[in-house]
Amino acid sequence: MGGYGDVQMIDADGKRVDGRGAGDMRPMTIEVGVIPVADGSARVTWGTNEVVAAVYGPMEAHPRKIQKQDRAVLDVRYNMAPFSTTDRMRPGFNRRSREIGKVTRDAFESVVLTELYPRSKIRVEIEVLTAEAGTRCAGINAASVALADAGIPMTDMVVSVASGKINGTVVCDLNKEEDNNGEADLPMGILPNSGELVFLQMDGDLSPAEFKEAWDYNMDAASGIHDIMVAALNAAHGGES
Amino acid sequence: MSAPPVPKLLRDHLSTLADNDERLDGRSRFEGRDLNIEVGILPRAEGSAKVTMGDTIVYAGVKFQTMTPYPDRPASGGFMTSAEVRPVCGRHWEAGPPSEEAIELGRVVDRGIRESGCLDMSDLCILPGEKAWQVILDLFAISDDGNLFDAFATAGIAALRTAIIPGERFDVGEDRPLPISKSPIMCSYHRVGGRYVYDANIREEIGGDERIHITLSDDGHVHSLQKGLKGVFTADEFYEIMDHAKQRTEAIQAIINSLEVN
Repeated sequence: MGGYGDVQMIDADGKRVDGRGAGDMRPMTIEVGVIPVADGSARVTWGTNEVVAAVYGPMEAHPRKIQKQDRAVLDVRYNMAPFSTTDRMRPGFNRRSREIGKVTRDAFESVVLTELYPRSKIRVEIEVLTAEAGTRCAGINAASVALADAGIPMTDMVVSVASGKINGTVVCDLNKEEDNNGEADLPMGILPNSGELVFLQMDGDLSPAEFKEAWDYNMDAASGIHDIMVAALNAAHGGES
Repeated sequence: MSAPPVPKLLRDHLSTLADNDERLDGRSRFEGRDLNIEVGILPRAEGSAKVTMGDTIVYAGVKFQTMTPYPDRPASGGFMTSAEVRPVCGRHWEAGPPSEEAIELGRVVDRGIRESGCLDMSDLCILPGEKAWQVILDLFAISDDGNLFDAFATAGIAALRTAIIPGERFDVGEDRPLPISKSPIMCSYHRVGGRYVYDANIREEIGGDERIHITLSDDGHVHSLQKGLKGVFTADEFYEIMDHAKQRTEAIQAIINSLEVN
């Protein structure tokens, strides 16, 4: 985290720079089937963030050496488009993107029933079109919906959200300004039906009490995000919300 | 792009359709897919466009950087085009460094825009010999159902026409629109079933042969040509598609020139 609490971002009434209360999430929209050539796809907008995800497969895994005899391999990539940030993001190899792709894969390997598709591959492609803090969470949510849209069997959806700390106050879903000046960030990947976790990162400084507060904000927010996901899938597939 | 194996059945089918002057999706030979252009849709880009042609969807974003002018042109800025075709946009596109196809895409679009002279490079000079604007046009596909060339070129010029030079953010004067004096348009033709068709979809590309890309600008001037893939064509064939490109260019220019940022 870049900040030391020296930029005042919460006013006397507890309102944040964009007018939210401490526990409020930025507005989120989800649209299903936005990439017509993909087997499953979704677009998530979350505040100014815009992320699309595509799923291809299950398909033949090649080269053969990457095949697993008893299950499918998940091939997950996270990438930021060059025009997604204020300073142009140079295309190409990027350690941050590789790490996010890896932990996202680790999360989905925990829920996708890969053993149903031995020797095959399922590709998940996450592309950030506009970035404004929280893109890894937005990417996981988009990928979750895209996997469901593709009909990939999963034990549960993965819902991701981050809470953090600004000016010593724990808040839900940091925006760019808060993220740049904040003191902590706790992104989680939650299975809404069981309350279990499949993704967890954290950096910054949180006391045990603050940690619990951030954790609880994430758990509450996850249930609201899950509702938006289910409604989007139902709208696309003719289900009842 | 790893070329999928071409099923002989698809080639035969395309050939039969061509004999009856038909296409896979019911279009006539020189009919394009529905074209939709939106501008000003990427908040972090200084100019942006999204182009949808059937199931092909691409974005273009314009970013600015400051640069030291090239020694041989101390009073000119720079222009760079980069095309990214990432595996998100189709099952046949693979991860890794830019493929030959993606590089060709970026370079052909770049030449059409650059050679039309629509960008006044001397207007991009901030301080001769020391500082100038570099305009970077990033082309980014999210859904490839064929003819990324025309989609990229159309999105590119639409994004440039709406771009704002961010003078204030770089502390070099006020924000102002990037002056674009012309609208170069690319029209692409693929040989499918033995004859050229306009705006091929991906199955026509896979089951077809060589392709020709023509970039025309105002008054029908030609600024860039590219023949791609294996194949032979005659002068008569070329003039036929050139005539069509002239008409189509005017139609797309009319759309591009009327676009406004909401």
